[in-house]
Amino acid sequence: MKAVILDGIVLGLGFGLLGVGLTLVYGLGGVLNLAYGEIAVFGAIVVSQVMDRGAPTLVAAGVGMLAAAALSVLLDLTLMRPVYRQTGEERTLLGLLLTLGVAFVIVGLLNWKYPTGALYIFVGGDPISIAGVPMAAGSVWASVITLGVAGVLLVFFGLTTFGRGVRSVIQDETGARLVGISPSLVRTLIFALSGGLAGLVAVTRSMSAPLTVTAGFDLTTFALIVAVVGGLGSVAGAFLAGVLLGIVDNVSAHYIGEYITAIVLLAAAAITILVRPRGLLGR
Amino acid sequence: MLLEVRGLGAGYLGEKVVSDIDFEVSPGEAVAIVGSNGAGKSTLLRAIAGLLRPMEGRVRLEGRDLTRRPAHRIARAGIAYVPAERHLFPAMTVKTNLALGAYPRRPDRSALELVYGLFPRLEERQRQRAGTLSGGEQQMLAVGRALMSRPKVLMLDEPTTGLAPKLARAAFRALEGLKATGLTLLIAEQQVPLALSVADRGYVLENGRIRLEGSPEELEANPEVRRAYLGVA
Repeated sequence: MKAVILDGIVLGLGFGLLGVGLTLVYGLGGVLNLAYGEIAVFGAIVVSQVMDRGAPTLVAAGVGMLAAAALSVLLDLTLMRPVYRQTGEERTLLGLLLTLGVAFVIVGLLNWKYPTGALYIFVGGDPISIAGVPMAAGSVWASVITLGVAGVLLVFFGLTTFGRGVRSVIQDETGARLVGISPSLVRTLIFALSGGLAGLVAVTRSMSAPLTVTAGFDLTTFALIVAVVGGLGSVAGAFLAGVLLGIVDNVSAHYIGEYITAIVLLAAAAITILVRPRGLLGR
Repeated sequence: MLLEVRGLGAGYLGEKVVSDIDFEVSPGEAVAIVGSNGAGKSTLLRAIAGLLRPMEGRVRLEGRDLTRRPAHRIARAGIAYVPAERHLFPAMTVKTNLALGAYPRRPDRSALELVYGLFPRLEERQRQRAGTLSGGEQQMLAVGRALMSRPKVLMLDEPTTGLAPKLARAAFRALEGLKATGLTLLIAEQQVPLALSVADRGYVLENGRIRLEGSPEELEANPEVRRAYLGVA
């Protein structure tokens, strides 16, 4: 049981990291970025290509994250501009359609250029014992990185002036403009952060299992579920929801069966929307 | 001249709501823009604040042209705008709302002391979330947040919106206090007697145009103003 929960937490931290990048962009601009998972896969392919050319893993990971961040910013500066000119439901719908289109284009291009592309970062070393349970070294390191990033993000958004500025845009865009904050600059920077986090998700996931070129759709789906359950726009909510869902996922996979987990996760999201439409930590 | 508005026209979807607006505000002055609901007061202030793009005319602050600058630039240039809807950050505490008023700088202690001195209520509630405050407290917070940037002009749209008469009078007493510190005020208000009680000069806005201007005494003596806004036959 302890091992099942621990594995669930490891899985859930990954979910949380996945949800953060999506939830921030939604909170700021009202756009659910359906190309999010594909941006992560794009980052993964860049990492594997750079590694194939003999670069050290850390360098390759950095390049991949930067590439994913750049792709995300490109999206914000081009296709998203007409979306921001709309408001309310029209903005949401146009955002969904455009990012879905982008997702198709990216997945098509990657499948065409790198049909067998995959990223696997091998982390050597013996299993590491946590609370008496031996855990694979790759998973442990991925979790450590994720926890570190979660801590940095929470401090950044909670305590720094710019981080508070970002949250102010999420809560009241007009209010933010009136205190001297440029929502479009904040959005562009958050798109960059979101893309970089997508790249990081690709890297940390590939430390325990290979990430293939077809993984994008699953990543987007998990990110959506995590973001909805955590509360759209909430960083802490995304990590909390990620860990809870990770435990739920792993427990149901272990005691019921792997086939049931997707249904259980979707049910968790549906129940959250019914019982608490704002999500766990949504405002 | 601190604030200068020349030939300003603005509106929505190509339709002008206000046009040919000319007025100015000198340093330390309190100027009231009065008029009935729908006269175009909010549209005018939104255009000055940059929330609405003016269709024509000029807005200058200390001679610097701010026309068609984005709202965040105008705010940083020194025009603080408190809209009637307040636009606070509801899930953040009173203190964080105030801190963000000083963005991008860190809040300075003396500005915070000024705000807490003016509105002791905000200090008592500094850890409370803005969304849980009463209407009057939210109005105090909106004004306090605007003051944190140490603006050159404080622009208020209907500061009495949603306030009971007693609270509305208290709000205007607070504005008198602010004026006494030397702050320049531009107040749009439909409660004309209240607005004229604090103003040095007033402009009457009707159907999107300035109809009259003058000192509070002149306006109060004007038969049209008496009939339309002061409820005197």
